[in-house]
Amino acid sequence: MRSLIGFLQKIESGLLALILFLLIVLAAWQVVARNFFDGGLLWGDGFVRVAVLWVTLIGAMVASRTDDHIRMDVISRYLPEGLRRLSARLTAVFTALICGLFAWFSTTFVIEEMEYGTMAFGEVPAWACALVMPVGFGIMALRYVLHAVILPAKNEEQNQEPEDLPEELQ
Amino acid sequence: MITVAAILIIVVALLGAPLFAVVLAAAMLGFYSSDVDLSVVAIELFRLTDTPLLVALPLFTFSGYLLSESNTSRRLVDLMQALVGWMPSGLALVGFAACAVFTALTGASGVTIVALGALLLPALMKSGYSEKFSLGLVTASGSLGLLLVPSVPLILYGIVAQQLDVGEPFTIQDLFIAGVLPALLMIVLLTGYSLWLHRGGKIPRIPFSGAKLRSALWAARWELPLPIVVLGGIYGGFFAISEAAAMTALYVLFAEVVLYREISLRRLPSVMVDSMVMVGGILLILGVALAFTNYLIDAEIPQSLFEFTQEHIKNPLTFLILLNILLLVLGAVLDIFSALVIMVPLILPMAVGYGVHPVHLGIIFLANMQIGYFTPPIGMNLFIASYRFKKPILVLYSAALPFMLVLLLALMIITYVPALSLAPLEWFGSP
Repeated sequence: MRSLIGFLQKIESGLLALILFLLIVLAAWQVVARNFFDGGLLWGDGFVRVAVLWVTLIGAMVASRTDDHIRMDVISRYLPEGLRRLSARLTAVFTALICGLFAWFSTTFVIEEMEYGTMAFGEVPAWACALVMPVGFGIMALRYVLHAVILPAKNEEQNQEPEDLPEELQ
Repeated sequence: MITVAAILIIVVALLGAPLFAVVLAAAMLGFYSSDVDLSVVAIELFRLTDTPLLVALPLFTFSGYLLSESNTSRRLVDLMQALVGWMPSGLALVGFAACAVFTALTGASGVTIVALGALLLPALMKSGYSEKFSLGLVTASGSLGLLLVPSVPLILYGIVAQQLDVGEPFTIQDLFIAGVLPALLMIVLLTGYSLWLHRGGKIPRIPFSGAKLRSALWAARWELPLPIVVLGGIYGGFFAISEAAAMTALYVLFAEVVLYREISLRRLPSVMVDSMVMVGGILLILGVALAFTNYLIDAEIPQSLFEFTQEHIKNPLTFLILLNILLLVLGAVLDIFSALVIMVPLILPMAVGYGVHPVHLGIIFLANMQIGYFTPPIGMNLFIASYRFKKPILVLYSAALPFMLVLLLALMIITYVPALSLAPLEWFGSP
């Protein structure tokens, strides 16, 4: 079970790095081609724009592994331990619920796009590009359900040892 | 029922729920209360693919991560030291300038303090600056440079503001042109403070050395084309922002992995993933905030907010003062990206109503956020510096305070002298 999760996480990270790499190469190629060869790939700009959405959602999925999302940190750091854990569970349940709702509504969006048959770029249909939304939010919902049960170990900076600090300061 | 749900959302937000979930919940609640089918939130998030500019964010962020993972910080400090270190208060100026450049490239995520502070702090103290001054300098400079190209927060402001269509069109280039003089003003005032504090030759001058400059230039040889690509490309109008971002990302990748060989191919994927986790977090909030903004506009909330303030605040000057106070508080509580995507849609229509130019508002907004980073008691960079340099947080409060006062003076000038930001647009801006 644990190795399966590890395997899936590797696929997730690998996909993220791959899409970013393609994004960099293709975006740069489009610039070169536009300036020196009168025009880039026809589907290039469309791919780049969809890749931004994919990078966003997969990046957010990876962030939710350790609950590493941007948040307002005003109250929780002053709460006593017990209350802090309670509030962490509460916010995880809330986040799971919202992600689940979004996964549901984005599924209906994907189904509608399938029926209309719109194309995102080239021969790639829009529904296939949008599929990352229900999948991404579905996985985030599952992860936050888990976070509500087993609170994620916070890798806060305070817990890490500073590396390579110059001698004068140590 | 809806009021209860709204209160619940505010409570979980304060308890530290992820902001994307909070904003998404608010958007869904809003649309639900106006009887709009909720699959609209998915349509809104999918609109991220309609904004070609957006690609600049992952590309610049990735470049910044690569630069901060390699030895660019050391080469930058060495080069600055060789260039301006010989001036009076030279090393302080080196600190301000190097931090500004580094922050512009990497974003003010605290990495400037971690990477540059560790180099600058011992150097400053060794050449005779007091510990308090040196600590204050590296803490306050950790967010200097937010107004300079290719700062990701400034690009994000442009993207959000353009979505709102307030009737005063401008480009991202305009923002970067407008940011130059305010950023210089801050550096000049900070250097002036250092000169005044160390007047009467308290700090021995370091003589200029041609050999040092040559070796620093040689060490930085593969990175020197970078400013030409970024600055020349954007200010010269040769590249659009997204094009400059693509060229920068490809060039930095090539320079750090192939030419300098400081990032191994094996390590590259993890740097890529780390940078995209950051981007994913920001863009997801942006995407759901676009949905929330659309609900707000449908419900005419910015309009009624404006009418409400108009009743109570007649004078644009009073409005600007209150705006500065609000933004300073906001900058200390919220991270810069969430503050931008959540507050700009509310504030921009109001500001335009008072006759503030959207470009000027962008500069004011970011200048405030920059100070918010180290505003006691909860500015993020104070904690990063306290942790990094192992000093009690109270020591950092008092060390950062004089710098904060200097930058508040700069902020006031920036706010009440719009020409500082806007006049260069007349000469260099887009028509």
